[in-house]
Amino acid sequence: MANIVEVRDLSVTFKTSEGLVYAVSGVNLDLAEGKTLALIGESGSGKSVTMKSLMRLHPPHKTAIAGQITVAGQDVLSLGGKALGDLRGKEIAMVFQEPMLAFDPVFTVGDQIAEVVVRHEGCSYQAGRDRALEMMECVQIPSPRKRLDAYPHEMSGGMRQRAMIALALSCRPKVLLADEPTTALDATVQIQVLLLLRQLQRDLGMSMIFVTHDVGVAIEVADETAVMYAGRIIEQGPVDTVMTNPWHPYTQGLLGATVYPDMDREARLVAIPGAPPQLYRQITECAFAPRCPHAVEECLQPLPPPMVMGDRMARCVRLPEVAQLAENAVTTPS
Amino acid sequence: MADFLKVEGLQKYFPIGKNLLGRPKQVVKAVEQVSFTTERGQTLGIVGESGCGKSTTARLLMDLIPPDAGRITLEGETYGKGRDRKPIRDLRKRMQMVFQDSYASLNARLTIEESIAFGPKIHGVSEGAARAKARDLLDRVGLAPDNFIRRYPHELSGGQRQRVNIARALAIDPEIVILDEAVSALDKSVQAQVLNLLADLKADYGLTYLFISHDLNVVQYVSDRVIVMYLGQVVESGPAHALYANPAHPYTAALLSALPALHPEDRKTHAPLEGDPPNPISPPSGCRFHPRCPHAEAVCAEKMPPLTDLGEGRHVACHLRIEGSGYSAVRPIDVGAIASPTQITAPS
Repeated sequence: MANIVEVRDLSVTFKTSEGLVYAVSGVNLDLAEGKTLALIGESGSGKSVTMKSLMRLHPPHKTAIAGQITVAGQDVLSLGGKALGDLRGKEIAMVFQEPMLAFDPVFTVGDQIAEVVVRHEGCSYQAGRDRALEMMECVQIPSPRKRLDAYPHEMSGGMRQRAMIALALSCRPKVLLADEPTTALDATVQIQVLLLLRQLQRDLGMSMIFVTHDVGVAIEVADETAVMYAGRIIEQGPVDTVMTNPWHPYTQGLLGATVYPDMDREARLVAIPGAPPQLYRQITECAFAPRCPHAVEECLQPLPPPMVMGDRMARCVRLPEVAQLAENAVTTPS
Repeated sequence: MADFLKVEGLQKYFPIGKNLLGRPKQVVKAVEQVSFTTERGQTLGIVGESGCGKSTTARLLMDLIPPDAGRITLEGETYGKGRDRKPIRDLRKRMQMVFQDSYASLNARLTIEESIAFGPKIHGVSEGAARAKARDLLDRVGLAPDNFIRRYPHELSGGQRQRVNIARALAIDPEIVILDEAVSALDKSVQAQVLNLLADLKADYGLTYLFISHDLNVVQYVSDRVIVMYLGQVVESGPAHALYANPAHPYTAALLSALPALHPEDRKTHAPLEGDPPNPISPPSGCRFHPRCPHAEAVCAEKMPPLTDLGEGRHVACHLRIEGSGYSAVRPIDVGAIASPTQITAPS
């Protein structure tokens, strides 16, 4: 199958008042057409930075991006001006965590959707409004015609996120980036939005990259998963095998630390000691080694290339030995 | 066993806007007739979605927001304003709180040591003893005192700051600690560390916890008893294992079935509830859950169901479960049979 998104050796460095921050280093990603990839990681792991790089949303004067990004056959990093504007919203679109911040508060939702359609398709305003209505129906907003004239603050959180999805999908992008789209929502609303996204992805035949810190959310929506730690992808593969039989000690640790239903109350959580590293220096060795229960001397040497086996990949010095250990030791909920 | 902490009829309405006569135009019924009890050494979990009043309840208990009505009794002593009640100041010596935002809840201009020692000094402990206490507690929450006492909050990670907040809450030797979304902002790997720490501290100091969270899995893991709130009211309460295995209220059932799957083969096929929780400014009539409830009937829109004792320590406010409520086909819940739950299934 053709890849709609290809990322090769992506590195993103930010200039800050405290020096350079190596937010993403050497990320490779492939997304096949019609598939959903969940990018999992904790705060500061570089998952949102990777997403924003795909659309070049970082402030240019403070950001250095190296590597190659191809979206729908276009070399994103070489695009400029109008060509970049044509890509954003038309080929690739994004849904953010906080729809209240992503929408402009002084325009109605209908106008904001129509504006995008007019920009990309050169149609009349009325045709843009018609598309907006169609999209609002598509995302199952109740009384959509009335809601077209609503301002973002007049909607509830769940409805605002649906409107955000309508906006992102209004020009039928080939790729949808969803950056923690349900994290700010209540539990009963979160599942509605997850199911909606899953259904739209199938119906429209889109590809989707879904950023989340929640393992359960990733399992609900994704085919593939990539786990990030300290700016690198450390494990990748089909979501069902990675989540039931993780290879990398960090993925193992993350699952072990997650509280699951009907857990034994007397059992202690298997916490990962310490905290993720600061990214003020370029880390060449395994960034997880200081917290890893399996770390040995070699782990402080520069990290070898990823180990690929079948449809899975992991970056750990001690593979495959550590994956074997895990199969016996890790207890996943049944 | 006698009730250790007993809360009765706690209530708070927030006025919004005022008309010409100075009367509020609208009120938010943030917390309405909330009552519960908990035993010494137990953990009481409070769950619900945003706007359900769980955090307001915590703040009312600490009198950070003065309640409109209600009675807080701790070991037979009633605290609050009024002649027959002991002052809130005394209650705060026995009950402390840890907040969700670890940064906002520490004074940015005080060192860690000063922040922890502040409480004991207010309550009459000498400077030296308060500082010694701070060092002690830092060590106890897993932060090496020599490395941390002189640091400021911004120099710490989120997990470390939350450990400091826990140390500060423990500094005046409280019996009850209210944990208001205390681990919600932490990454999973750090959250597990803090949950382990909380379990250790509870055992060592014999603490009683009120654990407020929107995370149902964490609440089940830490709690002995659980209260479920919806739009300012308690809709269900009971022992954690029984309530999770066999929820009596349709809202509890919906919350539990809205949890994302942990195995790909258990993926959800439908959402248990439509729509968002309504606005607490103009809550629905009758049972506040009725517009979203799959079992709602006419009686649910007319009458507010009272929180009713089901036995086995369980309570529910739902016409479906209460004999003589006027509901067409009351389905009492068998509180004795947790093994074979008479589950409420959400409509597909």
